[in-house]
Amino acid sequence: MTMLLFSLWNSPTVTLRRNHPSNCEQWNCPPARKVHVCNFISQVLASKIVLIFCISLSTPINCKAIELFDSVQIHGFASQAMFLSSGNGMFTDNKSNPNFEFTELGINGSWYATPNLRLSMQVLSRRAGRWDNGSPVIDFGLMDYSFNLDSTYRVGIRAGRVRQPYGLYNDTRDVAFTRPSILLPQSIYLEGARDLTISGDGLILYGESTKPWGNLTLELFGGYPRTESINNQFQAVFGYSGVLESNPSFVGRFNYETYNGRLRFALTGAYTTATASKSVPSPNGLVTFAPMIFSAQYTTEKWTLTSEYDFDFFKGENLGLPGFPINPDFNYFGQKYYFQAAYRFNPQWELMARYDAMYPNSHDQSGYQASIKSKGVSPDYSHYAKTMTVGLRWDITSTMMIRAEYNYINGTAWLPVQGVPTGVFGISDNNQTSKYWDLFGLQVSIRF
Amino acid sequence: MPKIISCYTYRFRNMALLSLILLFSGSMMAEENVVAVVHYGTPVTTPISRIRLSSIFSMRLTTWSDGSAIKVFVLPDDNPLNSSFCKQILKLFPHQLRYAWDRLVYSGTGQAPVILSSTQEMENKIANTPGAIGYLPKEKKDDNVAILLVE
Repeated sequence: MTMLLFSLWNSPTVTLRRNHPSNCEQWNCPPARKVHVCNFISQVLASKIVLIFCISLSTPINCKAIELFDSVQIHGFASQAMFLSSGNGMFTDNKSNPNFEFTELGINGSWYATPNLRLSMQVLSRRAGRWDNGSPVIDFGLMDYSFNLDSTYRVGIRAGRVRQPYGLYNDTRDVAFTRPSILLPQSIYLEGARDLTISGDGLILYGESTKPWGNLTLELFGGYPRTESINNQFQAVFGYSGVLESNPSFVGRFNYETYNGRLRFALTGAYTTATASKSVPSPNGLVTFAPMIFSAQYTTEKWTLTSEYDFDFFKGENLGLPGFPINPDFNYFGQKYYFQAAYRFNPQWELMARYDAMYPNSHDQSGYQASIKSKGVSPDYSHYAKTMTVGLRWDITSTMMIRAEYNYINGTAWLPVQGVPTGVFGISDNNQTSKYWDLFGLQVSIRF
Repeated sequence: MPKIISCYTYRFRNMALLSLILLFSGSMMAEENVVAVVHYGTPVTTPISRIRLSSIFSMRLTTWSDGSAIKVFVLPDDNPLNSSFCKQILKLFPHQLRYAWDRLVYSGTGQAPVILSSTQEMENKIANTPGAIGYLPKEKKDDNVAILLVE
């Protein structure tokens, strides 16, 4: 299966059908669908918004996952966004409008080797400006062994590259269909910290209990979070070249939902540290991030009300170089939260509104002290962000979705570093950003 | 006087009749038009608890009591029978199940059920796949599959 995934990935111009004439015939699905799926995979890899449109329109309305044979499933997704901004570029410091810098493509396979042992892998290609250039990476690749103690208790272990259990949306954060908006609420799912929270190499132990009063799930992760795309931005963030390497880190999530799933609560705690090795002789830097997130969601047939509140400890030590005029070290207690309401006035249409606030240092919410300390290098508004969002989503079919959203933003605390123009020494120059800005986004997405 | 009494009696009769009709039509409306079905010989006893059935269709419970795999078959999200099954039998909304499956599929923590395009295909799959579970219209009298009642 791994070989198949890679061959799909590495041969964007050759369809499976051309490659292996007999392959489609072996699949356990009627011919019409096979042709669509084959075309779909090859053309999605070409990664163009127009193609995504055309292929989706030609796919049957109820396009299904590919089942190679019993107990194997293959699924995938593709999204392309367009942004218009009045001030700061989204994922690009080139302020030309519109920009198409945000593309997400993924394909995954899952195989039940035995009823209790499952193997899963997802390959992701993500393009988000200068540093996320779309080269395919293994997003997760794991072995999952679980067993039901009886019909109400289940325990298990996942090993390999596993998704970190983090809040409500992190588990599937690259799949537009599962997100409430084009960009996740940045207070909790900060683009800049994506690497450290998405998946890690290690283990997850989990247990689940389903009773008449509800479902309880506990997941514990221990391992090494990833730092690949942060390292591409190292120079821009730190102002010198070097490498950030994660240390053993821990994440735990406790989730409760009522039997009918209407009400859901989650509590996430994490302790992540990473070492910054500098390319010049100097003591290593150390970054520590320890968030505590409270999540709540209430769902009815038409409404979904969601809120998450994060209180975190974020510390950077030894991050400067000898002779640097400014000491970049920090020691923050951050406070971040959002309130979100989604209204499905029709099974295919959804309206969304959200208020999102982010104060990386809750003792300095105006950013004044941080601005003084940085000697004006980082303006006060780069130390907070308040975002109001409204959005509209249309599920054209169960496999194709289009959405539009408008954000009004005060502050740049969550603006991805790709959007900050580069100043002297290749360091991001926050003084070249706008304090108040509007961001309009449009996104087309398909999945199977 | 007798006239008045008979008038009241008549009214009472009318009301009783009306309420009977209402009661009857109410129970008609509440009656499910869909039923859970399993492959013959599946190690499960009927009736099954609603919680257990929900766990199966949410893909949380993946094995039968003898350790064999549960094969879940469903109809497309926008199929009326799928909607009826979710709301009447599982007491869930179809979008909740879809979200639960997406979470499993795109995070590497599980699999989604197999989506079939018609009740005829559903009937064939359930009849021919050991460990299979799905649903069919209630009026469909079919001896190839076993009906699973819900407590």
